[in-house]
Amino acid sequence: MSTAGRRILLGAIVVYLILPLVAVFLYSVATVWQSRILPDGYTLEHYVAVAVDPRVQGAVLRSLALAVLVTLIDIAIVVPAVFWARVRNPRIRPIIEVGAAIPFALPWVVIAFGIDRLVGEWAPSWQTTFPVLVLAQSAIAFPFFYWAVDGAMAATGIARLTEAAETCGARPIQILRRIVLPIIRTGVATGTVLVFAVSFGEFALARILVGSSYDTLPLWQAQALLRTDDQLNELAVTTVLSFLVLFALAAWLVARGRSSGASLAAGAQVGTPTEAPR
Amino acid sequence: MSSVSLRGVVKRYGSVTALDTVDLDVASGELVALLGPSGCGKTTLLRTVAGLERHDAGRVAIDDEDLSSVPTRSRPIGMVFQSYALFPNLTVRQNIAFPLEVRGRPAAEVRRRVDEMLDLCHLGIQADRYPNQISGGQAQRCALGRALAASPKVLLLDEPLSALDALVRVRLRDEIRRVQQQVRITTLYVTHDQAEAMAIADRVAVMNHGRIEQLDHPAAIYDDPSTPFSAAFVGSRNAVPVVVRDGEVRIGPARLPAPVGTAGTDRLVAYFRPEEVELSDDPEDLPVRVELVVFLGPVTRLHLDAELDGGPVRFHLDLPSRQAAAHPVGSLRRIRIDPSLVRLFPAATEVHP
Repeated sequence: MSTAGRRILLGAIVVYLILPLVAVFLYSVATVWQSRILPDGYTLEHYVAVAVDPRVQGAVLRSLALAVLVTLIDIAIVVPAVFWARVRNPRIRPIIEVGAAIPFALPWVVIAFGIDRLVGEWAPSWQTTFPVLVLAQSAIAFPFFYWAVDGAMAATGIARLTEAAETCGARPIQILRRIVLPIIRTGVATGTVLVFAVSFGEFALARILVGSSYDTLPLWQAQALLRTDDQLNELAVTTVLSFLVLFALAAWLVARGRSSGASLAAGAQVGTPTEAPR
Repeated sequence: MSSVSLRGVVKRYGSVTALDTVDLDVASGELVALLGPSGCGKTTLLRTVAGLERHDAGRVAIDDEDLSSVPTRSRPIGMVFQSYALFPNLTVRQNIAFPLEVRGRPAAEVRRRVDEMLDLCHLGIQADRYPNQISGGQAQRCALGRALAASPKVLLLDEPLSALDALVRVRLRDEIRRVQQQVRITTLYVTHDQAEAMAIADRVAVMNHGRIEQLDHPAAIYDDPSTPFSAAFVGSRNAVPVVVRDGEVRIGPARLPAPVGTAGTDRLVAYFRPEEVELSDDPEDLPVRVELVVFLGPVTRLHLDAELDGGPVRFHLDLPSRQAAAHPVGSLRRIRIDPSLVRLFPAATEVHP
């Protein structure tokens, strides 16, 4: 492809990605925007309205809490599990893989109903509670973390590096802290962004498990879309805000990854198997 | 006193016996090469000494200390892997420092020791590079420095040159030998390359099917293989099927007394090296036809077809390359074999490595 052709294609992709964001942002600061190409006037009153709306406040806080808790749970469970499967007991890998396929093999609505019925059967007092939503979301979102971390471990030949570290006299905790975690931090960062984003924006599970009791941000947004009273500008505001939250998280992780040369090298190493002859 | 001592070591994977009652003694400061085809158990043996595999029976000891219940991290060993296995998040210097730091040595000692290792392995310039910024040869020298940093009693090398290209391989082989002799460290060296084993080792252990078939100095193994497997695997040999008749074996006009314990019409295989076959003008000698001429550098190998006991047989004959032009494909010649250089083994155990 010629240079000009490449630029046009790139430009088209940028427009395709950026234009909706710009439009949403403009709508969030528009007074009226009906018959012209740009809004008739600009205002911050929708931001103020969102900031003082207790329903939105609650929804945002719950969504944030949900995403943070789910991410922490998945990190705490998945990293050691993948390390164990890669280094000590490869026989548990098929089990993890099947588990990681379930959220994609079944529609989340079906899973949500299943979980709801299960909880209703065994622990009715837990129905529609926040902990159930956190646990269910952790189970649904873990494959994103699993694949990111497993890929990072596979790409760097973590089993062989662990053996090398053992012959160097290192204890398991030293191996995890000084070798494994620094090497897979790119995978952990990727998994964190994915899990956080999925949990922050998840709708079906929240709708079915807790929707009758209270809102998360996506639940509030869906209702705002359906309502006839004019809350569409506020919907645009929350959309912009959730985009900013995820963008800030991703940017923070990238910046953290850059802060030390070691992790840069480790990042560069991902995808370059150490086994490969040079 | 032997530094590494294995007694009746057995390792099984399900129904497969990877190590079949192996005995091996390595003297202090000695380099023993474990040589054999893939699947012969040589890497399993090395990993058993490292503690990365647990043996099912027998005794593994270093300096008479039984290591059976000692975990890898507490064994007095250093190990180099085929795939380098350098820590990608650490520089060359940090990699070499790692075994010292995890053992809690004081910072000043770590620094001094790392500098010694960088010097020993000629890595001064690469000290602050990351593993993905150095060449394969440099990576393996770094792995060697890391393995030696904590002054282990035994150095274990698992096919350290197999991932490198041919030129680097020979240079690093000599480098490893230099370092090993400088440090005078007891060493086990796993390889499937017989030339590499011959070049680097004080003694070579030829392994097959989880057993050590022969353990001897390189020249002794080369000149006098004690088993058909050694004969076939070490050096490239002619393997000619022959039959015992009247208490002797004939290869053309060459006559050998049949080995003790063989009877008439027993099938044997005669092993002898290509450089031990001679061209001759004697009309009594075996007629052959040149089928293929292979230039190997200093020597050229002629593939020669002959008839022996009514069947077709192919001989290999090595000539100094300057003399090879006189024997083009298709020419008819005669060859002779010195019976004293031929080793006879029963045919059933013939091996194709």
